[in-house]
Amino acid sequence: MKPQNMFAQLSRREALYGLGTGIGSLAFSSLAQAENIHSTGIHHPARAKRCIFLMMEGGPSHIDTFDPKPELEKRHLQKFKRNGERESAMSSGQRYFVKSPFEFEKAGKCGADFSSEWHHLKNYADDMCFYRGCQVESVNHPTACYHVNTGNRFGGDPAVGSWVTYGLGSLNDNLPGFVVLPRASYPQGGASNWSNGYLPADYQGTPLRPEGSPILDLNLPKGMTREDQRSNLDLLAQLNKKHFQNRPQQDELNARMSSYELAYRMQLEVPGILDIEGESEKTREAYGIGESKTDSFGRKCLLARRLVEKGVRFVQAYAGNWDSHDYISRAHGSLIRSVDKPIAALLGDLKARGLLEDTLVVWCGEFGRTPDNGIRGGGASYGRDHNPKAMTMWFAGGGTKAGNTIGATDEIGAEAVDCVHHIRDVHCTWLNLLGLDDNKLTYYHAGRYKQLSQFGGEVINELIA
Amino acid sequence: MFVRVHILSLFLVLSGFSKEPTAGEKLFSLHIKPLFVEKCMACHGDDPKKIKSEFDMRTRESILQGGEIFEDEVLIPGQGAKSYLYILSTRVEEDLEMPPKESDKLTDKETGWIREWIDDGAPWPSEQRITEIQDKYAEGVQVVTSKALSEDWQNRRYQEEKLWAYQPLKVEKVPSGKHPVDWFVNRKLAELGLKHAPDASARELFRRLSYGLTGLPPHPKEVRKFEKDFSQSKKALSIYAEELMDSPHYGEHFARHWLDVARYADSGGFANDYSRPNAWRYRDYVVRAFNQDKPYHQFVMEQLAGDEMNPNKTENLVATGFLRMGPWEQTGMSVFKETRQLWLDDVTDSVGQAFLAHAMQCAKCHDHKFDPVPTRDYYGMMAVFSTTQFAERKASFLPSEPRNNFDSFTALTQDKIASYEKQNRALQEKIKRLKIKETGSAKVGDNGLDPGDEASQSRIYKNLIRHKIELDRVQPFTHAVYTGKTIIRKNVQGRLDMPNNPWQEGYFDSDVIYNGGDAYSEGDAVTPSGLSAAESLGKMISTPFPAGKGKRRLALAKWIVDKRNPLTARVMVNRIWSWHFGRGLAGNPNNFGGTGELPTHPALLDYLANRFIKNGWSVKKLNHLILTSDTYRRSSRHPDPKSIDEKDPKGQFYAYFLPRRLVAEELRDSMLQVSGELNPDVGGIPVRPDINSEVAFQPRQIMGGTASVYEPDPLPNLRNRRTIYAEKLRGLRDPFMEAFNQPGSDASCELRESSTVAPQALTLLNTEEVQDRALAFAARLLKERKSDPAVIKRAFELALSRPATKNEVDACITRWKSAEKSENEKKPVHPSFPRKIKRTVMAEKTGEPYDFWEYLPASESYQPDLQRSQTDARTRGLAHICLILFNSNEFAYLD
Repeated sequence: MKPQNMFAQLSRREALYGLGTGIGSLAFSSLAQAENIHSTGIHHPARAKRCIFLMMEGGPSHIDTFDPKPELEKRHLQKFKRNGERESAMSSGQRYFVKSPFEFEKAGKCGADFSSEWHHLKNYADDMCFYRGCQVESVNHPTACYHVNTGNRFGGDPAVGSWVTYGLGSLNDNLPGFVVLPRASYPQGGASNWSNGYLPADYQGTPLRPEGSPILDLNLPKGMTREDQRSNLDLLAQLNKKHFQNRPQQDELNARMSSYELAYRMQLEVPGILDIEGESEKTREAYGIGESKTDSFGRKCLLARRLVEKGVRFVQAYAGNWDSHDYISRAHGSLIRSVDKPIAALLGDLKARGLLEDTLVVWCGEFGRTPDNGIRGGGASYGRDHNPKAMTMWFAGGGTKAGNTIGATDEIGAEAVDCVHHIRDVHCTWLNLLGLDDNKLTYYHAGRYKQLSQFGGEVINELIA
Repeated sequence: MFVRVHILSLFLVLSGFSKEPTAGEKLFSLHIKPLFVEKCMACHGDDPKKIKSEFDMRTRESILQGGEIFEDEVLIPGQGAKSYLYILSTRVEEDLEMPPKESDKLTDKETGWIREWIDDGAPWPSEQRITEIQDKYAEGVQVVTSKALSEDWQNRRYQEEKLWAYQPLKVEKVPSGKHPVDWFVNRKLAELGLKHAPDASARELFRRLSYGLTGLPPHPKEVRKFEKDFSQSKKALSIYAEELMDSPHYGEHFARHWLDVARYADSGGFANDYSRPNAWRYRDYVVRAFNQDKPYHQFVMEQLAGDEMNPNKTENLVATGFLRMGPWEQTGMSVFKETRQLWLDDVTDSVGQAFLAHAMQCAKCHDHKFDPVPTRDYYGMMAVFSTTQFAERKASFLPSEPRNNFDSFTALTQDKIASYEKQNRALQEKIKRLKIKETGSAKVGDNGLDPGDEASQSRIYKNLIRHKIELDRVQPFTHAVYTGKTIIRKNVQGRLDMPNNPWQEGYFDSDVIYNGGDAYSEGDAVTPSGLSAAESLGKMISTPFPAGKGKRRLALAKWIVDKRNPLTARVMVNRIWSWHFGRGLAGNPNNFGGTGELPTHPALLDYLANRFIKNGWSVKKLNHLILTSDTYRRSSRHPDPKSIDEKDPKGQFYAYFLPRRLVAEELRDSMLQVSGELNPDVGGIPVRPDINSEVAFQPRQIMGGTASVYEPDPLPNLRNRRTIYAEKLRGLRDPFMEAFNQPGSDASCELRESSTVAPQALTLLNTEEVQDRALAFAARLLKERKSDPAVIKRAFELALSRPATKNEVDACITRWKSAEKSENEKKPVHPSFPRKIKRTVMAEKTGEPYDFWEYLPASESYQPDLQRSQTDARTRGLAHICLILFNSNEFAYLD
């Protein structure tokens, strides 16, 4: 927005590009930026150094995953009406209660609740911290996704991952700080879910696409050989150099020249970093890679581990779509199975490598689901609508209270009633675990110091070990 | 309607001012009390029910009691350094820094006041005495505003310099014979002891002028002509500037600037991201407005209240599209009251930002923290819009609205619809055949249907709605508003009709303050209004706005363009300045409040604002004045960079011209122009250019399914229009534009950013669209020139507006020859374009993936741009050189 000072930054960049950074170490650098990424640094000792955010897009039902509601057995199919100025068409009119199609069981020493579809993850019950108190504001997918991802329902603001990268920088100069692993189909609201908003472009989430070229335009165009490109870049450098000679104060020209060399190296190196074929058969099997149900999310989880291991600060992996308005039994059943094994493998793998301790794993959707359903055209199939008042999220590692279930919803799972907090407080807690203080992690924009929680929130101490 | 508070003159002698206040009393009244209010009370007293850490700061007694942590150590009268009120304010106690937000932290001066006040016994005079003391001793000025939520806010004082934007224009006289821009700029440079750079070369200057006014590179012939004329007289620039402003591309380029402010898009965003089929008419309205040099005050009036001025004028209705440019949707899942409120908040804020450089949202929940904008003003401004309603209003096309391609667009859209309907018929037949009635405990499949088919049913249904909405693009409707009562809308999918009687059905939105910004908590009633501080400080004559069924927006529009309104002309002049120089005279074109950057040349800004008004709010005249200054002609290279480093490290004082990178649209348009492919047609319905096909084919979720695939227009002539005409979808951004910092359409953008990131290099090196431009450029060159050196020289002239040096010609020919050799060995295959693509998405009902075919009717008649298979190795070899030129810094950066 403001013109860069063209004279002041030369020495820093010279230091960055002029000194002994070999090809390997520069390779992935700045997908984000051909400029040294600076960060605010931590505000207090951190419990976690990095974060893996498993985003369950569509709104998983807490009632059918981790928050059993036996009362619904009694009320199953009882009818009632709901109307009011604050109700959307979705939740108004004739309603009926729906029990969960799944049995529940207790797992681990802590006795955490898991629905019967979870077979693998329950082995890690004692490493997980369940939270049932969170509430959001929006009943629509895109606005609720924006809210969970960026703290602002209407989008346009920086994502959590952008804030974290802004706060902590990258652990490894060769990798972008914030990587997103979206599904083949982008979520409602699109790439704004991982945008850098008003933060500089350095902090943008870099999506690694599951199909085609992982990064757009990473592959050579048709008919272009590597040698062609190298020769082209050499001539380009020659022309640019001459142009720069007359404009030595225009630092951004130099930065742009460097960005071309980075881009060239990225083309050579990135595919290797993303290639999970080099992992052992056993590891791949553990993540469910090669099995049709789990292959897609298994790859994301394994890639997430590879990336954080290499120093990426924040990885967000998408799974879904959990928007089961009908047939919750089959829809949620398959979804749980598609993520169960991969997530269990991820937790196990992080643990085995000693990474779980300082890696914060977060699992949540954009909202929970209702204990009741409406009658829709065609017939009455058991499903659930959107519920911003109750949801389950869980955390693992990174200083969270392993083996605990914090907060509670009412007897039918309609609303959080204990340890109730707005999503902004979850965001504050999230940053806190990473050594960042929401009130200090601010960025001046449009006449105001802005922050992830928008106007400030509080840390939920109950979640912290 | 405002409750006025009198400014109490510093010189007023107050009777009954008993005795001289002590130092502590003075400190408390002048500094401590206001500090508590601004920084502490939000958590420690404003809401007695929510007091943090049980520490209540409302009275001396409650502070003496302390909170749950420090109790009576908080305030030990006489011992400032030991009192935790002071200690915590110095931020030495980790996790107990007060106030908690880093951005709120107290200055050393402020913490010093706290210590001294406690040292002096922490006196707490009565309210009356505080007022007396403040009246006698306070620095800073009070501002008359409408009534604040709190008395403390009402009485607070402002640093006078931060109120600059509300003061009437101060117009200095410029000595005759001096160019006003240079007079003010050079005066500042002399103050700083800075010498300015010499003139830029004629070629650089003309390129600067051409991009600055049209967003396109100049033609080589024009460059040569200008160079010759300019060498004879510097007045040539004046003539060429006028010529360029007469070109229709001027309006396109300036419209692009304004559309950034207005957040133009062709779709509504969020879950459905439905098309706004008539939005393009607003875009063209803006292009026309700049081309016709529509007086700015009229431009403002029409956008705010065109319908209330004269609903029978098409232009007026189209202009009000501005009010609906933000993202908005109402689905069956949204609560109408909330989406209505979302729009009211959005329009209040965006009108504030666009015309008054005020981010109004800052005053939504509380009186503005820094600026004299009470919450009452926020809701007063919102009340202006509470009778504003959406409608696609009928308005016949003007002769100036091109209707090219209406038929081809309709045919393509009908093809798309027909294709879905065909699929749908087959699907419905299948469903009819297989469907079994479900019982209550139905499971997937119990209805006899394939879950993928069920998902397809909803997907096709949604996409049929989507494309049928698009058909309205060629209908004589406008994306507009009317004045009337609010009608509850459950699910908005397509055209909203005007009711016959706008005052019959519906209800009046409450014109009230919403407490804490909560639309379910109604507070004091308000009446429609503008900004009260602008009225009082700007010495405007305040006329109450109508309420009820009156023309509220017209009143606001008149208020905004009132010649005494201190903000309006300054705001626009500052924008225009920033469009030419890359930075505003005031650094934040959307924020003239106390937190925005103060103007670097306030006298120049005021001079230009006054002249702007005097010249009938003519943007072209203002441009002309700016462009004919010495300041505009300066070289981007200063001969003494060290002096700049010392005296102007932020590059604010125009000793040299700030170089800039082309913006995303300029990059694409320039490549098209240089390659000879640009279709320069002006106006009309949006076109669909080629975009990265991986992104085009990328499934994106909408409510109820997957949006139909993006299909580029079949003919190059349509695809290769200027970027301003490219369909702008909020949910599907062109990755090229995104990479080069085109802002999203959610928030108003005051000025473009320009980052340097590696994906930009990948885009310009590898993306197919740039390859296509390079190939076409090569083919053009070979058609126009014969010999190798002539070809290369021509390439440099077209792309860089300058002759190539001998070294450059040699280097390029060498590379060309080697590339030609390598191209000779390649046998490019003519690419095929898919007629249908298979997409895999998740079925909502099963949580499992399913495949479906998506048909691409536009691809049936798709004619690609020139392909490698259609060219020889010489052309393809040259295309490498063209690609290098497109990637060069000289192409991307303007001197």
